[in-house]
Amino acid sequence: MGPNRNISILLTVPALVVVALLFIYPLGFSLVGAFQDKAGAWTLGNFGRAWDLYRLDTAFTVVIVLVSCALIAFFSVAIGGYLTLGESRVAKAILNFVYRWPLFIPFIVAAQCMRTFIARNGMMNMTLVYFGILDLDQVQGFLDWRGIVFTFVWKQTPFVALMVAGAMAGLDRATIEAARNLGASRLRILVEIVVPQVSRTLAVGLVLSFVTMMSVLSVPLMLSGQSPSMLTVNMAWRINSVGDYGTANALGFVSYLMTGFAAWFYLRHGMRERAGR
Amino acid sequence: MSARLEIDRIETSYGATRVLKGVSLDVAPGEFVALLGSSGCGKTTLLRTIAGFLSADAGEIRVGGRDISGEPPDRRGMAMVFQSYALWPHMTVAQNVGYGLRLKKWDRARIDARVNEILAMLKLDGFGHRNVTQLSGGQRQRVALGRALAVEPQVLLLDEPLSNLDARIREDVRHEIKALQKSLGITAIHVTHDREEAMVMADRIVILDAGQIAQVGPPETIYNAPNSPFVAAFMGATNVVRIEAERSGEAIVVAPGAGNRPARLARPGPQGFARGKLVAHFRSEAAELADAGADFADSLMLPGRIVQAAYPGGVWRYSVAVGESQFLVDAPEKRALGDAVAVRVPADALHLYQAGAS
Ligand SMILES: Nc1ncnc2c1ncn2[C@@H]1O[C@H](COP(=O)(O)OP(=O)(O)O)[C@@H](O)[C@H]1O
Ligand SMILES: [Mg+2]
Repeated sequence: MGPNRNISILLTVPALVVVALLFIYPLGFSLVGAFQDKAGAWTLGNFGRAWDLYRLDTAFTVVIVLVSCALIAFFSVAIGGYLTLGESRVAKAILNFVYRWPLFIPFIVAAQCMRTFIARNGMMNMTLVYFGILDLDQVQGFLDWRGIVFTFVWKQTPFVALMVAGAMAGLDRATIEAARNLGASRLRILVEIVVPQVSRTLAVGLVLSFVTMMSVLSVPLMLSGQSPSMLTVNMAWRINSVGDYGTANALGFVSYLMTGFAAWFYLRHGMRERAGR
Repeated sequence: MSARLEIDRIETSYGATRVLKGVSLDVAPGEFVALLGSSGCGKTTLLRTIAGFLSADAGEIRVGGRDISGEPPDRRGMAMVFQSYALWPHMTVAQNVGYGLRLKKWDRARIDARVNEILAMLKLDGFGHRNVTQLSGGQRQRVALGRALAVEPQVLLLDEPLSNLDARIREDVRHEIKALQKSLGITAIHVTHDREEAMVMADRIVILDAGQIAQVGPPETIYNAPNSPFVAAFMGATNVVRIEAERSGEAIVVAPGAGNRPARLARPGPQGFARGKLVAHFRSEAAELADAGADFADSLMLPGRIVQAAYPGGVWRYSVAVGESQFLVDAPEKRALGDAVAVRVPADALHLYQAGAS
């Protein structure tokens, strides 16, 4: 066992080196950079500037991502629930075929499509007007925070739904039938029997989506030019237009704290659940 | 609260595969019926059809005279106990047991009272706040039973509820379930593939074979008078010998064959039998070992050699090679491998069927 073990450790070294060089080093570098001024002296000035300029954007980012997460949770549970509990075979087959498509579309393409879809004179409004659901003078564009949320939800729901539907399919069907046997409606079964049993998977999907959405630049950049914007846009601005790496690093540190909080929340939840078993 | 359950020519399929091929069964109020069959014969399918999780292609199911074939599972007055128990892992014992009552919109205090009553009945007092994942197999099984009984169903459906339990616990739980069913007077169908379990628990046994009922009757009838080679073999008469015989009054005369000596058996043989080939089934414990040369009246004698011996407890179990075949025979005395012996099967230990009957 001994030599074998050494060899297997040796085999992981290249992977570890790559992770260290490409990930840990730059991460550490920018974390340190958040606490240094241009001359390299230690300071909290970057955070002061970030607070002065971007506290509204920070709140905006958190709200957008949380609202998106809530909607993603709702829709992915609805999709997974229909695939698990639905009666119509045909509808299930169609849903199962269609819902994954957005997974294969990159964020930037999705954002580009959304621009033309949800703009004031975009396809969505024109279609609604065409069918007489909206009046031409009622239409409004959604190229603001709503457009960002719409795109995030559209793009991330299939990902979470895929995980959730998989977990639901793996449940002991008898736990569902036992509830039906006692007279639970489909909705009650979904809420009281199915979702609690897949809550861990749902939480993982949402945390991963949270982190993904925190790091997307293209969607807020293309869908909402106005202020406030999301932190990724601000970081890009600080670096590209101002050359201010310090503040960008400070903002990066803040978003790192947010995702870290999400991960901590998930881990804590997971531990408690495991302890409960 | 018990009701008569009538199953009338039920047919059920999965896609194009017909699994139940016309099953009819009458269960009296308060009766305990065991549905016995090998794995894959359609026991669960029948139970799920009765419960309403599968819809039958043809036939009717009536509870207390009311046709419920078109009703959803919760309107059938039936509660099912699943093989996997199907307890909800995110709920406590009390929440599991009380869920059906919550669905019935009982108020909190009434649910608590009823749940405590059920838990006491199942000797689970004080377990109400436990998580079901912290229970032993036997305790989980009882929670599943409690959840089904809490809603006071007219018919209780049990799908192999004991097959996941240790052999030792299983014996106890058998008696507990049976006693509970009798004291509640509930109509019950208990699915099992365990012959002994069916024998000790049931008022009546139904043998299911490939989606059809092979025999229905009280345990002693099924055991002593299996109506087909399949039932005989399923009920433990797994030794099979083929013989040539001829009827002579109230007896049959067996011609000498590849394995057997000539014999005269004082019994008439299968109905309508005159002469020809017979298939004889017998149990290892119903046969005896005799010395090679010995002869007994009114018995089938099969001379052979001992090829294997085992001691399962109480008696020795020998495998005896007779011609091309081997038979299992129990005997109290120890014998050596290779000994020449004769297997003696008394006439009344033989289950005789016309060859080719199935
Ligand atoms: N969901 C299903 N889809 C297709 N075939 C099934 C399904 N469930 C069971 N079967 C088939 O139906 C037959 C009867 O199954 P089942 O009723 O579960 O048997 P048992 O409970 O007696 O072991 C088996 O041959 C099994 O393969
Ligand atoms: Mg089964």
